[in-house]
Amino acid sequence: MNREIRLSRRQLMAGAAATAFGLAVAPRLSFAQTAEEARAGFAGADVDWMAFKGESLTVEAMTHPWSAAIEPILPLFTEITGISVKLNTQSETEYTSQMPIKLGAKAAEPDVMMIHALGQFVSAGWAEPLDAYYADKALFDAAWYDQDDIFAMARDFPAQADGQNYSMSITAEAQTLFANKAMLGEAGLAVPTTMDELLATALKLKTDTVAGIAMRAKSDSSAGPWTCGGFVFSYGGEIIDGEGRCVLDSDAAVAGVEMYGRLLREAGPIGVGNYHWYEALNDFSSGAAALGCDSSNFATDISNPEKSLVAADAVYAALPRAGEHPIKPNIWAWQAGINAYSKKKKAAFLLLSFLNSGPGCLLSAASGLATVRNSAWKSEAFQKRFGAEASAAALLNLNSGDARIFKAAWFHKKSSEILDPFAVAINQVVTGQADARAALAAATTKINAALKG
Amino acid sequence: MPLRQTTIQRAERSFILWMLAPATILMLSLTLVPFLVSVYLSFTDYSLTAPETINWVGLKNYSDLLSSADFWDAARITTIFTIVAVGIETVLGVGIAALLHHEVRQAPWLRVIYLLPMAITPIAATFTFRLMFNPTQGVLNHLLGLAGVSPSAWTAAPETALLSLILVDVWQWTPFILLIVMGGMAALPPEPEEASQMDGAGPFRTFFLVTLPRLKPYLALALLFRLIDAFKTFDIIFVLTGGGPGVATRTLNLLAYKYGIEFLSMGYASALAIVMLVFTLVAGQVFLRRLGLFDLKD
Repeated sequence: MNREIRLSRRQLMAGAAATAFGLAVAPRLSFAQTAEEARAGFAGADVDWMAFKGESLTVEAMTHPWSAAIEPILPLFTEITGISVKLNTQSETEYTSQMPIKLGAKAAEPDVMMIHALGQFVSAGWAEPLDAYYADKALFDAAWYDQDDIFAMARDFPAQADGQNYSMSITAEAQTLFANKAMLGEAGLAVPTTMDELLATALKLKTDTVAGIAMRAKSDSSAGPWTCGGFVFSYGGEIIDGEGRCVLDSDAAVAGVEMYGRLLREAGPIGVGNYHWYEALNDFSSGAAALGCDSSNFATDISNPEKSLVAADAVYAALPRAGEHPIKPNIWAWQAGINAYSKKKKAAFLLLSFLNSGPGCLLSAASGLATVRNSAWKSEAFQKRFGAEASAAALLNLNSGDARIFKAAWFHKKSSEILDPFAVAINQVVTGQADARAALAAATTKINAALKG
Repeated sequence: MPLRQTTIQRAERSFILWMLAPATILMLSLTLVPFLVSVYLSFTDYSLTAPETINWVGLKNYSDLLSSADFWDAARITTIFTIVAVGIETVLGVGIAALLHHEVRQAPWLRVIYLLPMAITPIAATFTFRLMFNPTQGVLNHLLGLAGVSPSAWTAAPETALLSLILVDVWQWTPFILLIVMGGMAALPPEPEEASQMDGAGPFRTFFLVTLPRLKPYLALALLFRLIDAFKTFDIIFVLTGGGPGVATRTLNLLAYKYGIEFLSMGYASALAIVMLVFTLVAGQVFLRRLGLFDLKD
């Protein structure tokens, strides 16, 4: 029985206003509620929070979900510790070019910083070793902090060859497949589970106005290598092997890059050679691409109807399998650490452990941040913001990732010299300038020369 | 008397030196000192990741650089970009100046319109071009579509990326040539042109045989500035292509950025910067001497 519902203009306006108010206020109410719980949680720690009362800290970060998520938490930190915090944010490009110069000049500020190239920061002596701070009972309550609640990959990421931890993982991301189920349904297709299916599906879904798939391919070390890396690993390849040599010219790596290149060359959007993550996200969110494969963090934007036209149609899945090889999506955990030249290292450690603690992560997860803690991922507030299906897919991919092969390249002290030639090779394959074998052979020669130098 | 004069002269000289000192010290500390530091670093293996260990490596950075395919590839791309962009800008700048020379008296606002691109902040203009070049949502492909031409990948395709960058540079810097040439035309006495016309020469003949040779000093100045500036172009390329696709637009400046800021190899990057400086100085001298364009006696 259909019942026609008629609304007067006034009723409609009132309804719209109530919805808008609800949408605007609900997250704040949820955050305020979580903040109350967190305040009680911090009180349970056997830590002298007020030990550095009156000090002030500077945090330098990129414009990033982490910095956006911690900003509203900082007043609570000041309330609990008496330490004031100034948060400076810059774009990723500005940040990555400015920080080495600042730290190279041994600047005492910032006290806490996001670390984009851990190997480089450690070998240059810019990142303070943290193990002594973890061992300081006045600063750190191990039982309360509960390291076991942190994902294994996130615990593993900061550990360096000398056994020291120089940073804390602050986010957990895994390469995840996104698909537009409405487009799949119209074409009578299912979410692809193998690489061959992925290619066939992308080709079938490609039209004059919609790309079959959108992924990163820009000739930039922060673009193609991360997503294409998951393809290389899933085909059984590696970038840097156990002996520290570049092995991108292996058959497995060539097969992975060849598949990545074919997908984008034959089913990608026009101009994909200039795609970074934001172009890929934009295409999928606007319905200009049927498939995407990038960071699980994209789910926060894709499932937000205010930012995405496909919020209701997006489905999330594991990276497709390549033959009999185990699926190894790329993973990533952003790092934060203490400036080795900071004059307020203990207060800085207090801030880092505060933000990365169980209650701290619950607060940032309420803003949709994919933190490193199981408890935060399971929280109702996070599930609401991130989406239950997206978080399930992300967790599956996080657990399939291989931190060792990731760290061998991305946390290498010469990571930039490794990833730049790889990015160029990926771009050349995608734009048809070279075949995968030739491009990767050239990249391998260049990388091995840089590693020897 | 002579003694007194000397004392006054000495006092004057001392006063002048004291007055010049702040500006001189500032200039030396901002230009000469960094330059000398760069020269020193170019002979070392200094890396920001190992700041404590600076080793003197002699000419190694220079020999590595000059034997590197990346360097010669970047030099080739830089040369093509510089010559083509400045060439087009010169032809357009001189052409528009010749057309406007008589018209601006009637419509002075035309000059303002033509000079606008130069007045816009380069980075803002570049980001606008980035939107315009967007293959799916950009206005350029929309216009091509209206004309029945298939869309182009512009900055994302190896065939069109460098051309797209040249297009932006031409749009932004043609007004610079235009400004200097128009200034030159306004300063030239009109009698030779009038005599040429009275002798029966047409406007083209008059322009090429009478006006253009007299514009040589102005053109030389404009070209020299533009060649040096185009050779160092960074912002347009960094924002629009980042040196890609592949390395299709990786110029020497982009390569220096890559080694200095991304790889943190300051020694090698300094050597590259010094080579660029030497190249600019030598090319500038050759340009001025060979073409004799800067001979103000003419």
